[in-house]
Amino acid sequence: MKACRLQLLSFVCVLSLVVGVTPSSGSSNTLFIGSATIDITPSRPIALAGQFNTRISRSVENPITATAVAIETRDGDRMVDCAVLVSCDIVSFRPTVPAPLQEKLKKTLPGFDSSKVVLTATHTHTSAVTEEGAYKIPKEGVMQPAEYTEFLINKLAEVIGKAWGKRQPGGVSWVLGHAVVGLNRRAVYADGKAKMYGSTTTNSFRGIEGGEDHGLEMLFFWDKDNKPLAVCINVECPSQEVESRYTINADFWHDVRTQIHAEINNDLCVLGWPGAAGDISPHRMYRKAAEERMLKLRGLTYTQEIGRRITTAVKDVYELAKRDIHTEVPFAHQVKELALPVRMVTEKELAEAKTQAEALEKKGDTGVKGRWFQRTVDRYNKQNKEPTQTVDVHILRIGDIAIATNPFEMFHDYGVQMKSRSKALQTFVIQLTGPSCGYLATKRAIEGGGYSAVVQSNRIGHEGGQMLVEETLKTINELFQ
Amino acid sequence: MNANIDRRQFMNVSLASGAGLFIGGLGRISQGAETAQAGSLLVGAATADITPDRPVPLTGATSVRIAREILSRCTANVLALESREGQRTVDQAILVSCDLGVIRPGIQEGFRKHLAGRLPGFDLDKLFLAATHTHTAPETLQERYDEKDYADAMQPKEYVSWMYEQMAQAVVKAWENRAAGAVAWGVGQAVVGRNRRVTYSDGAAKMYGNTNDPQFRHIEGYEDHAVHVLCFYDSQKRLKAAAVALACPSQSVGGNKLSADFWHDARELIHQRHGKDVCVLGFCAPAGDQSPTILYRKAAEARMDRLRGLTYTQELGRRVAEAFCDVVGVITKDIRTNVPLIHRVRKVDLPARIVTEAEYEVARKVCEEIDVRKKREKADAWTRHLYGLVVERYLAQQKGDRKTYAVEMHVLRLGDVAIATNPFELFVDYGVQIQARSPALQTFLIQLATSGRQHAYYVPTPRAVAGGALNKQPFTNYSATVAVNVVGPEGAQVLVDMTVKNINELWNVPKK
Repeated sequence: MKACRLQLLSFVCVLSLVVGVTPSSGSSNTLFIGSATIDITPSRPIALAGQFNTRISRSVENPITATAVAIETRDGDRMVDCAVLVSCDIVSFRPTVPAPLQEKLKKTLPGFDSSKVVLTATHTHTSAVTEEGAYKIPKEGVMQPAEYTEFLINKLAEVIGKAWGKRQPGGVSWVLGHAVVGLNRRAVYADGKAKMYGSTTTNSFRGIEGGEDHGLEMLFFWDKDNKPLAVCINVECPSQEVESRYTINADFWHDVRTQIHAEINNDLCVLGWPGAAGDISPHRMYRKAAEERMLKLRGLTYTQEIGRRITTAVKDVYELAKRDIHTEVPFAHQVKELALPVRMVTEKELAEAKTQAEALEKKGDTGVKGRWFQRTVDRYNKQNKEPTQTVDVHILRIGDIAIATNPFEMFHDYGVQMKSRSKALQTFVIQLTGPSCGYLATKRAIEGGGYSAVVQSNRIGHEGGQMLVEETLKTINELFQ
Repeated sequence: MNANIDRRQFMNVSLASGAGLFIGGLGRISQGAETAQAGSLLVGAATADITPDRPVPLTGATSVRIAREILSRCTANVLALESREGQRTVDQAILVSCDLGVIRPGIQEGFRKHLAGRLPGFDLDKLFLAATHTHTAPETLQERYDEKDYADAMQPKEYVSWMYEQMAQAVVKAWENRAAGAVAWGVGQAVVGRNRRVTYSDGAAKMYGNTNDPQFRHIEGYEDHAVHVLCFYDSQKRLKAAAVALACPSQSVGGNKLSADFWHDARELIHQRHGKDVCVLGFCAPAGDQSPTILYRKAAEARMDRLRGLTYTQELGRRVAEAFCDVVGVITKDIRTNVPLIHRVRKVDLPARIVTEAEYEVARKVCEEIDVRKKREKADAWTRHLYGLVVERYLAQQKGDRKTYAVEMHVLRLGDVAIATNPFELFVDYGVQIQARSPALQTFLIQLATSGRQHAYYVPTPRAVAGGALNKQPFTNYSATVAVNVVGPEGAQVLVDMTVKNINELWNVPKK
């Protein structure tokens, strides 16, 4: 059995493909930067993604947006490499968006390599559903997912086109700050079991399963006069503080943007990037009353408080960043396809999934939970024929920093491994980039079970997680040789 | 090392029998008021400089370092509290935060004796000392290193006598200058403490292990970045003293200079912003598996320090001070003058970590090897001391002794805040458990507080213990082996339950 697994792993490595190849990563070239933001708020009620139950938006609490930064390096008039980094207020990208967007960009931006678009979801749970059939949605009075998806693709193409079109000679600086935002959400009990958002007040509570990373990796982009154009903020936390509401809401990123605009620069484009945060959220697991009281004393909601913490961290490093702007840097952008081994569904898990799917169907459940179980049954049926799943990752070098994306809700520990072993000065680990692939749990989390670490939540298991780490590091470290 | 450690073994502690057994060992040293009635609050504060003017051996290393220079001054900061109804004292407390490595066995008892008769009307049992855990403070244990290595330096026993008097003068001053005052509390955040235990693919754990290793899998446990703040004001609502607790020992500084570590820098900045007379008590919350040491992204952090023009210690002080000032600005809206103050002092017997025969054999062999060595190596005194204690404990166990470890526990209610002490380097998970289960609005935990007759050392979690057994290398799974654990996970769970039980009583939570 062990030998089979090893064979599989080497097979998987062979299947790693480089889609976008950069000839040189170490030499410095002149930077061109463009940035733009666009409103993606629908004009009508929509179905909201992110919970098992169907929710239709009743109002718009604040706008949802997409923000893009276009980067190009040139050697004289020759393009050396490029990237368009996009952050979007959406729970995750379904296959309905990235590929059609690439097709559209081929038409709207001829000559631009659309595979170089890095499309990241902030994971707000109060944004649109973008696939038909996921929820049972009323046909009347609600903008349907297909219609919103088309609207979103057009908006994304527009903001990418704007950012690309506006690129001009500019500079970049990278800095590190700190803000306590993301909190590990998996409670562990005396019997070894784990539970997402489990009670911590019970006598059998023993600890929080994993760690947190409160480092804020930041990239500032500047124009030729050192005026700030954009800031990319990599926070190890999905934006889901108000996740159960029936409203359109960009969650804490709205507050971050609002406060940065008020306190630093009104024109600054702000890209929110979630770090490796599969086991992280903004929800407090203990000391809740003390935190609530502080909010009351400050007169802030918690999303405003998160906005305050992140903005304070950005302001704290802003002048330092401004003093260290680089206009010519090594830049490389690789897009890789990795074939990762799927997490195998066991007979026991199959039986459980079947039972649950049937029970929910009988109950007339209209949410996505039934599909969640049914997909596990479907996976079992094809897992021997399709033992791997292909995922796209983007690896970039910008000066002394690396950016590594993945399409998962990736557990914190994998991000720490990448940051620890990377040769880059700073390594931005960005999850939920490209078509979403579910949670990527660690071995210890899978042993503890609980939502986010059960087979229904994990298309890829911890072996695949380790492989993703190794492949990502291999590419980063090649770029920094 | 078995990589497939049973998850139950990882987290489970068989508590029921332990708790039942040891609740009977709970003794009451000092009785606080039983009801949470609000009384008027009297506050006194003072600072003692406990920096010797002579060379001194430093604590916190495996071999002796003599400090001949001062990087920053070590202080002891004293807070005296009394609540009154009319002229009647309801309850009282004196808290002393010391820039020391630990409160060595006998130190608190000796200090209470030193104070005898100098604090009329004060019950000396209601005073406790707590160490900030600076590793560049004077050593207070004479036999910590080989005495001959101290050369011309001030001997620890000599230093202790001098320190006692310095601190006694501050305690008397704080108690005597207590006056009608007020209190406010709040919580902020600062990234200071980091979990320092690294876990590898075979399940082995290592304190400060290399994370740039293909076998590195994760940081073992959690971190708690809360900065707990208690502010004390005079009758004009001017800030007089502040107690600040965070889950991080002050051990960012190495070398041979005397230093109060980041608490010095934090105090300096707080003094700049709130006045030089504000007495700042730094406390270390449960942080046995924490330290300021950065385990990954080190180059980026170091670059940011360079860009700021700060040392890492200064940067830590800046973060603490920023969080403190941020909280102070908010909690001034909620300053209270009449709050309940209840202070209970308990003696709790915790089940000791039992030394196995295999561990005894390892320790015995190490001791024998060191004892026959013609020339002692640098860390031999330290190693011999630790392994010698393991041998002693095993032999005592065989005779039916040392089955428990006695702890003096202080539990206070001050308004909506609970304060609870323990003498250990207690792993952060236990602090999280206490905070999560406490009925108090905010639970202010202080480790390395008080001292008993034996060393307290680290108290690890089951998952930490599973990271490796005692062997001849003292740094194997350091902080979670029997060499540095007189209390293990079983005793820790009793400590948690007893702490929560005592807090519950102060909040009149019905027993389940």
